[in-house]
Amino acid sequence: MDDAVIAADDLVVQPAARAGGFTLRIRELALRRGEVLAILGPNGAGKTTLLRALAGLALPREGAITVHAPRGVALVFQHPLLLAGSVLWNAEVPLWARGIARRERSRRARKALARFGIDALAERDATTLSGGEARRLALARAFVAEPDVLLLDEPFDDLDVPGREVLVQDLATAIRETGIAVALVTHDLRQALLLADRIAVLSAGTLAQVGARDDVLRRPANAEVAALVGMSNWLPGRVHARDAAGLAVVEVSPGALLRSATPCVPGTDVWVGIRPEHVKIDADRSDPNTLGAATVETRVSDGALVVAWIAWHALRLRTHLLAGRGLGHTLKPGDGVFIAVRPEDVHVLPRDAAPI
Amino acid sequence: MSAAVGESVVAIALRTLAVSGAALALAVAIGVPLGLALGHRRFPGRGLLVATVNAGMGLPPVVVGLLVALALWRSGPLGSLGWMYTPQAMVIAQVAIALPLVVGITLAAVGALPADFHLQVRALGVRGPRAAWLLVRETRRGLLAAVIAALGGILSEVGAVTMVGGNLEGETRVLTSGILMYTQMGRFESALALAAVLLGLTFVLAAALTAVQQSSRR
Repeated sequence: MDDAVIAADDLVVQPAARAGGFTLRIRELALRRGEVLAILGPNGAGKTTLLRALAGLALPREGAITVHAPRGVALVFQHPLLLAGSVLWNAEVPLWARGIARRERSRRARKALARFGIDALAERDATTLSGGEARRLALARAFVAEPDVLLLDEPFDDLDVPGREVLVQDLATAIRETGIAVALVTHDLRQALLLADRIAVLSAGTLAQVGARDDVLRRPANAEVAALVGMSNWLPGRVHARDAAGLAVVEVSPGALLRSATPCVPGTDVWVGIRPEHVKIDADRSDPNTLGAATVETRVSDGALVVAWIAWHALRLRTHLLAGRGLGHTLKPGDGVFIAVRPEDVHVLPRDAAPI
Repeated sequence: MSAAVGESVVAIALRTLAVSGAALALAVAIGVPLGLALGHRRFPGRGLLVATVNAGMGLPPVVVGLLVALALWRSGPLGSLGWMYTPQAMVIAQVAIALPLVVGITLAAVGALPADFHLQVRALGVRGPRAAWLLVRETRRGLLAAVIAALGGILSEVGAVTMVGGNLEGETRVLTSGILMYTQMGRFESALALAAVLLGLTFVLAAALTAVQQSSRR
C-alpha cells in the first residue's frame, strides 16, 4: 500500500520462548499514515508479538516487514522501563541516543512532558512517580523524538478509570496534533473504540478481521470477533426467502422472523448478529421495522447505560438504553413492549463462513 | 619502633596499596564485562559457568595460594617468568580471589534488571556504547558493591600473598603479612601499628566507595 508506514507481508513470527503463546501468521497488515489502528484480541492471541515484530524487535521467521518511517518508530511497552534518574532524563533518552546536545534535549523533553501534563515533575526522581505519572512519562518519551509511528502495548492497563479517561483524551489530542500513525494493542474494547480509526482482530496468532472501526463493529467476521466487539445478540438462523423489498427474511426461532439488508442465499444456515444498541424499544408502536410484542425480562444499569434483556418468542435479546431519562428510566421487568430493528442493523453471516 | 625492624610502616602501606590497587583494577576490568555478558547472554554451559563463579566466591585463599605457587614454581608452567616471591605473584593470587566476587555480584546486579531491559533499551533507540553505558549506569549500585566486596577480600587476605609473595622485607611485605610476622615474633607494638593502618585504609576506601554508591542520582 502506498500510504503504509509499516507493512507486514506473509509474516511468521515465533513468540519469545519465555512468553509462550501462538506462532504469529499474518498474511497482510498495513499501518497507514496518520491512522490509529487498534489491534484487539484475547490474552495470548499474539498481540504483543505482533507489535514487537512491527517495531523490529522480534525477528520474523518468514516474510517481511517494510517500514517507511524516516523519523523512526517508538514502542511503549506494557510495563515501561523507567531509568534511574530524573523524569527529565528519562524523557531525554531517545534524543540522547541520537546524539543530540544537552540543551536541545532538555528543551524538547520539557515540551514532550508538557504535552502530557507532567512538566512540573521534570526534576523528580522517576522511581517516585505514581502509576499514572509513569504512564504519562512513557508516552512523553515516545513522542519526544517526533517519530512517524507510535506502537502502544496495553497503554492504560494499570490505571484507574478516571485516570484512564483523562489519559485517553490527552493521547487523542497528541495524536491529532502530531499526525502520528499509531498501532495500539489492547484487550479493552472501550479503549480501542475511543481512539481507533481501524480495528484488527487477532485470534490464535492470525488476523480474524481487519477493517474500518464501524465495519468491524457492525459486521464482525465470525462469532469470536462478534463477542470481542460487543455484538452480544448472536443467533443461529435460516434464510427463508426475500420479501417484496428484496430484503432477506431470516427465521431465528420458530415464528421469529428478522429482515436483513445483508445479501444472502435463501435456504442457507446463517448466524445473525445484532448490536444491543440497535434493538430499539418502540414506545409508540409505529416503527415500520417492528418485530412485534416482547416482554422485559431483566434490567440492570450502571448509571449511564441501562442494559435490558427482552424475551421475544423463545429468544432473549439484549438492548442498551441511556439511563436516567424516558424509557431508560421507566422500563422495568415484566413490562410488555414492542421492539424494532432496522434491516441494515441485522448482520447475517453464512454459518460455515471461514475466517477472512 | 626500634631501628632493628627495618622497613617503615609507610613503605609497607604504600606497597599494599600498589599491589591491592593493581589486583582490584585487574579484577574489575576483567570481572565486570564478564559478569555483564554472563548476566544477559544465554548459551550452552552458562549454568555450569554461573555455578563455578558462585563456588569461586567461597574459594579458600590458601588453596588459591597453593595453585598460584604451583604454577609459578621454577618447574611449574609459568616458572620461566621468575615471578615467584614477587609483587606480580601476589597480584595474580589476589585477582584469582577477587574475580569470582566481582563476576558473581555483577551477575546478580544484571539479574535484578527487568527481563525485557535490553529490548526496551533497544526500543528507545539506544545502541552500542551508549547501551553499554546505560547498562552500567542502571547496575552501578551493584557494580560498586562488587568493587567494595573485592576490595575487602583483597586487603584482608594474608594466606595466599604470604605463600606466593614470601613476606620479603622491602619487596613483598604487605600489611597483612607484616602483622602475621610481627605477631609470631611477639612484637605486638609493630603488629598493632600495621593493623591500625590496615583498618584505617579499609575503612576510608570502603567509605569513599559507599559515598559514590549512595550519591544522588542524575
